[in-house]
Amino acid sequence: MDGSIGILSFPSVGGGTRARTRVDHKNSEEAALIRRVQARDEMAFREIVERYQSKVFSIIYGILRNRNDAEDIAQQVFAKVYFSLKNFDFRSSLLTWIYKITVNECYDYLRKKRVRKLVYESDFSQEDAQRMESSEPAVDGSVPADTRLAQRDLILKLLSKVSEEERNLILLKEVEGHSVEELAGMTGLNENTIKVKLFRTRQKLLKAAGRLTRVR
Amino acid sequence: MHREIRHHIEDVLASSKSVPGSEHLAQCEECRIEIQRMREQTALLRELRAPESFASEPRPGFYARVMERIEAEGPISIWNLFIESAFGRRIAVASLALALLVGVYLVTSERSAQDPMVAAQEAQPEISGQQLVAGEDAPARVITQMDQSSAGESSEDAVLANLVTYRDQ
Repeated sequence: MDGSIGILSFPSVGGGTRARTRVDHKNSEEAALIRRVQARDEMAFREIVERYQSKVFSIIYGILRNRNDAEDIAQQVFAKVYFSLKNFDFRSSLLTWIYKITVNECYDYLRKKRVRKLVYESDFSQEDAQRMESSEPAVDGSVPADTRLAQRDLILKLLSKVSEEERNLILLKEVEGHSVEELAGMTGLNENTIKVKLFRTRQKLLKAAGRLTRVR
Repeated sequence: MHREIRHHIEDVLASSKSVPGSEHLAQCEECRIEIQRMREQTALLRELRAPESFASEPRPGFYARVMERIEAEGPISIWNLFIESAFGRRIAVASLALALLVGVYLVTSERSAQDPMVAAQEAQPEISGQQLVAGEDAPARVITQMDQSSAGESSEDAVLANLVTYRDQ
C-alpha cells in the first residue's frame, strides 16, 4: 500500500472551471446580515439565531444524542457567535463558520465530561435502552443498539485525532452530505484542495483506527 | 493506495456504479481493501447524523435563553483563557506560586541586607534590660536601653555606641 500522501495531487475533474469554485462571501445577502450584527443590530442577530438554530441543534444532537445537552450547547454556540461575529472575516460561509464553532463546542463538552463515560451513559434514547435491556437485536435487522453506541464512541475518538479543519471537512461531507463542489463554495478553497484534504483525513482516520485496535 | 484510485476516491466512495478507476479497482486487491475500509469508516461517520425522527427545533423561547446567557457571560475577556482552560489554570497557579516564592525571597534577603546590626543584635543573648553592642575585639560597652519600643532608635544607639568605642580606642 502506498502511504505517500504528502505528494498527492489531483487532476481537475470536469474541466478547469469546476476546480476554481469561488463564492463571494463578502457580497451576499448573508454578508449584509452579518454586517448588521457587527453594527450591533439585535434584530439581525435574532434572524441568524432563528435561521440556524435547528441546524445547530441537530448537529449537536447527532454527536451527543442528548436533548438537554444539545439545548445547552446550542445556547453556548450562539453566545459565542454573538461575541465573535465582530471578527468574522467572510472567508467562508456563515454556516461553515457556525458549524466549526458547534463541533468545537461538542468536543469541548466531550473533553470536559470524559468522552467514554459520557457517550456510554448519555447516548441512550429510550428506544435504545429498551433494546439493551431485552438484549435483543434491532427489530429492523440493523446493527444492535449497544454496537451502535460503541461505534459512535469509536468514531468520535478517531475524529479527535485529526485537526479541527480536517474534522469539520469530513463531517460536512459525510454527516451533512455536502458535495465536494459545495464544500469548495462554503470554505473558499478549490475543489482539488478539498479532495486532497478529504483523502488525507480519511487516511489519518484509518491509521488512527489501526493504532486504536492495536492498543485494544 | 494507488494514484489511479486516489484521483477519484470521492466518486468511488460515493457510488458503487462504474466510475473512473473501476478497472484498476477490479485488478488491485490492495486498493480494494483500502476502499472497503474507507467505506466502513464512512458508514461510521454517518452514525453521527441526527435521526430523521428527531425534532430539531429547540424548545420555544430559545432566543430569549440565548440572550440571557449572553448577558450573564458578558464579553469574553483575556482572563477567561486562564479561568476556563485547564492549561490556563495550571499556568495561573504556577505563576502565583512563583510570584509568592520570589516575594518571600525578596523580603527575607532585603531584611538581612538592610540591617546587619540588628541581625547581630538578635544573634547575641539578651541581658535583662541591657544590650551588648560592641564587637569581639573592641572593648565591650554596655548601654542601658531605657526605651526599647522603637527599633529605629535602638539601631541609632548602636551606631553611636560603635562611634564611642572607636574614639576610646
